[in-house]
Amino acid sequence: MSWRIERLGGWAAVSAIAFVVSGHGASAESLDLKIGALLEASGPLSEIGPPAEKATNLAAEVANKAAKDAGATIKVGVVTADAQGDPQAALSAARTLVDKGASCILGPGTTPESISVLNGITMQRKITLWPLASSTRLRTVKDDGTIYRTVAADDLQSKALVQAIENHVGKGKSVAIVFRNEPYGDALSKSFTTDWKATGGTITTTVSFDPQQQSFDSEAGQVVADNPDAYVVIDYPETYAKFGAALVRTGKFDAKKVFVADALSFANVPENIPAEALEGAYGVAGGSPTGTETYKLFNKLWDEAGGVANASYTANTFDAGILCFLAAVQAGSTEPGAIRDKIRSVTQDGAPQFTIANLSEAVKAAETGKPIDYVGVSGLFRFKDNGDPSTSLYDVFQYKGGKQVKVEQVNVK
Amino acid sequence: MSATPTVRASAAEDDASAVRSRLASPSRLTVLVAVMAVVFCLLAALFGLVPTAQATINGFVAGSYTGLGAIGLTLVLGILKLVNFAHGDLLVAGAYFTILFAWLGLPLPLAMLGAMVATAALALVTEKIVWQPLRQAKAGTLQLFLSAIGLGLVIRFSVQFFAGSQVRTLGANVVDSIALGPLRLGTLQAVALLVGLAAMLLVGLALRFTGIGKEMRAFADNRALAEVSGIDTQHVINMTWIVSGFLAGLAGILYATAIGSFNPNFGLTLLLSLFAATVLGGIGNAYGALVGGLVIGLSQEWSTLMFNARWKPAVGFALLILMLLFMPQGIFGRKKRGS
Repeated sequence: MSWRIERLGGWAAVSAIAFVVSGHGASAESLDLKIGALLEASGPLSEIGPPAEKATNLAAEVANKAAKDAGATIKVGVVTADAQGDPQAALSAARTLVDKGASCILGPGTTPESISVLNGITMQRKITLWPLASSTRLRTVKDDGTIYRTVAADDLQSKALVQAIENHVGKGKSVAIVFRNEPYGDALSKSFTTDWKATGGTITTTVSFDPQQQSFDSEAGQVVADNPDAYVVIDYPETYAKFGAALVRTGKFDAKKVFVADALSFANVPENIPAEALEGAYGVAGGSPTGTETYKLFNKLWDEAGGVANASYTANTFDAGILCFLAAVQAGSTEPGAIRDKIRSVTQDGAPQFTIANLSEAVKAAETGKPIDYVGVSGLFRFKDNGDPSTSLYDVFQYKGGKQVKVEQVNVK
Repeated sequence: MSATPTVRASAAEDDASAVRSRLASPSRLTVLVAVMAVVFCLLAALFGLVPTAQATINGFVAGSYTGLGAIGLTLVLGILKLVNFAHGDLLVAGAYFTILFAWLGLPLPLAMLGAMVATAALALVTEKIVWQPLRQAKAGTLQLFLSAIGLGLVIRFSVQFFAGSQVRTLGANVVDSIALGPLRLGTLQAVALLVGLAAMLLVGLALRFTGIGKEMRAFADNRALAEVSGIDTQHVINMTWIVSGFLAGLAGILYATAIGSFNPNFGLTLLLSLFAATVLGGIGNAYGALVGGLVIGLSQEWSTLMFNARWKPAVGFALLILMLLFMPQGIFGRKKRGS
């Protein structure tokens, strides 16, 4: 008996020493943070899976290096699961991630998946969810403060599309809209219609299609029917492979008039999409402030890591991972609810600013428990009450020779 | 089986009914064609001739995709009385066998032919390891039905296991089109339509005139009677699976080629349309499968002239229900005989 008490006393002493040495109550023992990546590895958005996975791994790598340099005892690991573009599959994938100990979850890519994961598990467990989905609908769902987005919502994307068309086609022109019948396309097409008409433009037709159909020739015919000056295409790669082919088959289609929304933004046009359907087409996707040291550093890290080419929204995924890490450091805990409560205090206006260039200092500052302001690769974060960012920078790009070429950046409010 | 049920085994059974159905079936088709013609004229008057004609072409294309797939399905359903929920996945197998053989170095036409043979072999294998034992165990309709769903899952996920679930393409040129005045028809779509028509005619004629075709019809009409009249029923069953599998392979390959982009789930999304075409055409009838597919395709594409395209499956299937109300046995189907 006495031996046992002695042992226990010994442990208590060791803990007490660790407590004093670490200088922070809760991080007495080393923290093992698991970031869950809910990837679109298969399904209609499978093009975005690999870059998102690499961005998450890169965030963990950068975080681990910063923690080591700062002498912090936190370790970051990544667990992944495939959301398949399907709400049910996304929920079961999210459960897998939680079982593997994920304290926050990056992804999924679509709004229905996000809502299913939110209601099925993350809200209840207070796990922060960082969807890549950009629908405005995620703003109005009850989320108990668990949804944060590093990508801007589609009311801003709509304005970016308006600017892109004005820049490359002109003001007051006629536009045909086509969208895959999902919340993303439905909401974005409505915002765009309002915004485009407000600038004096006209809409020739709005065609929505059911993604389960085999042929889209009638729909494609309607899009080109009135020979509009531009087409706005809000689609996923899986269906645009078919819809784009149908557009070309009409014989009245000009790919240079196409303006795609961000779900059709890729570094290289996938081989199943006919080249004629996107060559010369324009598009918009959330951008990062280029020319900053942070941006250059991120690009350098990306290239050094090898693997898939950089794509849209990788910086946003990366930043989400870093924010989760910093919040865990500040909370001194990997408990999901504790992390959730610190997200705003690592992006606090007026607090000392840090980037990935001096992330180890950010770790030291966060360990003291005082607010900091992480300036991401994708820009400054000022989360609104609903967890949406106020970032509003969009890339306008064009496909040339099957590759994405950035044309300009537009700032929208 | 078609309009003339002159199966020897059952001919004596009911001459009057044979005559009746010979008269009734063409008249159902005539009525349908007449209704479609009237609808076409109405649409042309309301929405213009060119848009209506283009929608009609699109309807034929959409219809040929489902019609072609439905021919193999209707044979199994009509002859073996099996609701083969795995049929859509046989189409998938056809498309992926092509990818496999092309990957192994065969030129594409040979890979396609090999894939059809392989799909036929796969269908025969399912008969040997699933359906024959289940029949011998006297499995009921529900058991067979559930086994078919399970078998479909096994095929689909086996494909996924080996080939992955990402989107694939056979690399055919899907953007070329033939201009017919102001109208357009995709080149590969025209091929799919022609192959669909050819397959329908071949299967229809083979059922009517070849020995095995007659045996199949006899088997479909009355299995016991066919057996006592000296027909090797297991041979008939095997042949049905081989033909059905071959046609499924053909349909899957054409679909994958003409659509241009697919993943292992395309069979599942197609399955409902295949059953609809089969039932509307009249179960067990090769002509019916294609005509049923075309009618559904036309209803859907014509509906896009009036409604937003996102409603086209809803409109198409509402019309399907309406048509079945008027002819529950389908376009070419026979009235059920009292036995």
